[in-house]
Amino acid sequence: MNDFSRQSFLGPRSQDVLANTRATIVGLGGGGSHIAQQLAHIGVGEIRLVDPDKIEPSNLNRLIGATGLDVQKNRPKVEIAKRMIAGVRPWIQTPTAQQKWQEADHLLKDCHVVFGCLDGYQQRDYLDAAARRFCLPYIDIGMDVTQIAPDTFAVAGQMIMTLPDGPCMRCLGFITDDRVNAEENRYGDAGSNPQVVWTNGTLASLAVGAFMKLVTPWFRDSEPYTWLELDGNTQTVTPSRQPKHMPQYEKCPHHSGPDDLGDPFFALPSL
Amino acid sequence: MKTIFRARTSFAELVRADLRRPHPFAAERVGFITIRAATTETTLLLIAQDYHPIADGDYVPDLSVGAMIGQEALRKALEIALLNKVGIFHVHMHDWPGQLWFSRTDLREQLKFVPDFFKVRRKMPHGAVVLGPSAAAGRVWLGPDEIDRISEFNFIGPRVEVFHSDASGTVDYGQ
Repeated sequence: MNDFSRQSFLGPRSQDVLANTRATIVGLGGGGSHIAQQLAHIGVGEIRLVDPDKIEPSNLNRLIGATGLDVQKNRPKVEIAKRMIAGVRPWIQTPTAQQKWQEADHLLKDCHVVFGCLDGYQQRDYLDAAARRFCLPYIDIGMDVTQIAPDTFAVAGQMIMTLPDGPCMRCLGFITDDRVNAEENRYGDAGSNPQVVWTNGTLASLAVGAFMKLVTPWFRDSEPYTWLELDGNTQTVTPSRQPKHMPQYEKCPHHSGPDDLGDPFFALPSL
Repeated sequence: MKTIFRARTSFAELVRADLRRPHPFAAERVGFITIRAATTETTLLLIAQDYHPIADGDYVPDLSVGAMIGQEALRKALEIALLNKVGIFHVHMHDWPGQLWFSRTDLREQLKFVPDFFKVRRKMPHGAVVLGPSAAAGRVWLGPDEIDRISEFNFIGPRVEVFHSDASGTVDYGQ
């Protein structure tokens, strides 16, 4: 019995497929660290890690793999994720970039799937656009906590997967100019964004489930996107109805221009 | 440097569907795929953008090959490269079993016309691709005389499919 025998239903070649898959995780906080851990257990051969930040005391409530000593040492989040992955399967390749993802796009371009675990609509919009530029599936997770009455909070989150052929997060209605503008206006005034480990874990599991449907044949899905909404209060997950109320474009109008593919200034002599 | 050719699954299906259409006299069809490109330190990424089928009237009767296209078809492809910042990849299909790779005729003929694309778009890679029922194989020109194999094909859709070629460039149909 090999150490993948309990996931053999994924297909006879699935372990080879996974070992040859390159996944990039942008953001190694509460959501991204969960995804990194799951991809390591599954046996993804190359897990690329991108995050500019170092761990802070307030991260310890949810950052998978982190220790009190990491906080003391103020270790980079990518280093913590790398160590965690090596602890599960030392053979997994883990190129890292302790940088903003825009400065580490070499870890995006030739991967097979991008996970986005970023704060804010603007950054998600940019990363979705970058994934489409390099013809990649993009899987995004995020959560939020809103006070709806004194002593009552609504915990919610979403997992959205977009494909280069399908609608982008703007087409779906998740990213809107109003939301981006509101975010810009709140800049510097947002305070700390509430995040909890169990909701992050649920969303990360949804993201990894979407990833596994992409790369292994265990369940054939032909949807051009996935948007699952998590109601953290009732602990339920439902497909979002928002896209049904949006204009149905034959082709994404936001990222389908002739210059929206590849490096904008590509030229062979640069090789 | 490793070369990856990446296309949307629906795009590849569209190309296959066109190439499978019978022609009035040619035994097979061919077309051109335009690509955009990106690089990292270790990888050249070729991303399929549009497909340009060859018009029925641009084939030349020639029983010695599966499909022979005339000067007009090549002129149109050169014009596409001249007017757009794209690389041009010749494409045809092999629908029979076995290792997926070009025939000797394919390899010989490619040398005659692929370098011409550098005369009109010299800063983009050009090349040739052969599609199988699911996989693909191909060669990339990095200059008029610099040829390399495409080492990996990615088809991106509701399923992500990755095909690796061996040292010769061929891809097993079983993959």
